[in-house]
Amino acid sequence: MLDIANLQVAVADKEIIKGVTLSVPAGEVHAIMGPNGSGKSTLAYALAGRDGYAVTGGTATLDGADILALTPEERAAKGLFLSFQYPVEIPGLSTLAFLKASLNAQRVARGEGEMPAMELLKLMRAKAEALKISDEMLKRPLNVGFSGGEKKRFEALQMAVLAPRFAILDETDSGLDIDALKLVAENVNALRGPDRGMLVITHYQRLLDYIKPDRVHVLAQGRIVASGGPELALELEREGYDKYLRAA
Amino acid sequence: MSFAAELPTRRVEAWKYSDLRAALGDAPHVLREGRDIIERLAPGTQSMDIPAGEARLFVERMDDDAYLDARAFEWRVAEGATLTRVVVQTGAATALSTARVTLASGAKLRQFVLAEGGKLARIETHVALEGEGAEVELNGIYMAARGRHADLTSVITHAVPNGVTRQLIKGVARKGGRGVFQGKILVERGAQKTNARQYHHGLLLEDGAEIYAKPELLIHADDVQCAHGNTAGGLDESALFYLRSRGVPESQARSLLIEAFLAEAIPQDLPEALREELLGRVRAWLESSS
Repeated sequence: MLDIANLQVAVADKEIIKGVTLSVPAGEVHAIMGPNGSGKSTLAYALAGRDGYAVTGGTATLDGADILALTPEERAAKGLFLSFQYPVEIPGLSTLAFLKASLNAQRVARGEGEMPAMELLKLMRAKAEALKISDEMLKRPLNVGFSGGEKKRFEALQMAVLAPRFAILDETDSGLDIDALKLVAENVNALRGPDRGMLVITHYQRLLDYIKPDRVHVLAQGRIVASGGPELALELEREGYDKYLRAA
Repeated sequence: MSFAAELPTRRVEAWKYSDLRAALGDAPHVLREGRDIIERLAPGTQSMDIPAGEARLFVERMDDDAYLDARAFEWRVAEGATLTRVVVQTGAATALSTARVTLASGAKLRQFVLAEGGKLARIETHVALEGEGAEVELNGIYMAARGRHADLTSVITHAVPNGVTRQLIKGVARKGGRGVFQGKILVERGAQKTNARQYHHGLLLEDGAEIYAKPELLIHADDVQCAHGNTAGGLDESALFYLRSRGVPESQARSLLIEAFLAEAIPQDLPEALREELLGRVRAWLESSS
């Protein structure tokens, strides 16, 4: 599904990701854990195609197709989704309008045609209800004045409506209280399935109590320094990142 | 004396960003002394009174592509009355409008201007809050494509206590287009408890776009709440990436963000058909000029 080989990424001419190799097969959820500054978000942005995150070497493919040559919107249409650590506030644009533009643009790019307006509204309402998001909130400008927890719920809503092939969740737990974390995790878990892969990026083990990964990778100073099963996350929680920082 | 000699030069503070001489040349006009230059250019001043307690809506469309359109208005809004005024300036010719509005106690002015600019377009509004508790909402947007000059100028004078002003102006300019905002709010010594907010935000959509802003708050009273903000910059790159990461193509993402940016200044409570017309104008502009 998502295959990354020897990926190198530079930001402002400084190499941040120094050769990451990683494969997430369909149906699996992998976690990337690492201390602050290890390059977790840089990896996420580079995979999504953000300007300023220059891939200087290596490859990344989704279902065998090179994604690095594609624009961000083309990657999205192929089914790649990034849940932002800091979702952007967009005054004047409602969540409904934003989601409608997003879903229809992806469908048009895939040759599926736009979704009829009523069907779209029904879909959005159903997914919103599962995340305890009211109709009134859907009409408000996207993320404007929302709490950290509300923003993450809206990221989960976007993910549920867009139903991507592969989702990257960047620090989804930051800014969430425990109830919101459970709710978001529940909705993320509902999307797990044999045809979908996920990469969950987190600093803390806490999130992985609720979104249980198949594999855990430790990213330190731009490299994956250890990989293992879910027990690796527990070990990190106990012992911290120190030994990996010294080794890297 | 030639006509041009009577026109303001750009050394005149109120006209520093809008070159009326260049726009009008030496066209023959009959001038009357002692009035605002636009009032002298207009064929006459339209005077109206809004009776106490009543509400009126006026929509002015300035859409001439060939000839100078100069208009002057004078409104007196009586106690508790509301004047809602919408100006839609879209023509390519020179368009000049000046309005003087006086508000009695509890009277309201709600104005919205959409200006696409012209050879030179200037919509000037002078508001005097003369009765206590009067309220002003003075919003507007400008969209200056190549070769268009859009100037929104206003002077709001709080002469008595307890007045309220809300002003939100948003504008965009493309390469070769010029947007101007000059907004003065004067709070006189006796105008205690005035509550005034003035915001202007401009977006320079391309290199070679020009936006000039001169916000002024002159406060002579000591017990007031006043705030203002003024920005000019480019489109928010993080918002652009956010939309693109969801699958929206770049050009569509830009249009959506610009529309959202401008729509914030369009009052929510205008008649639905009118609001739709204004939003339609914004969309048409984005499609035609991009």
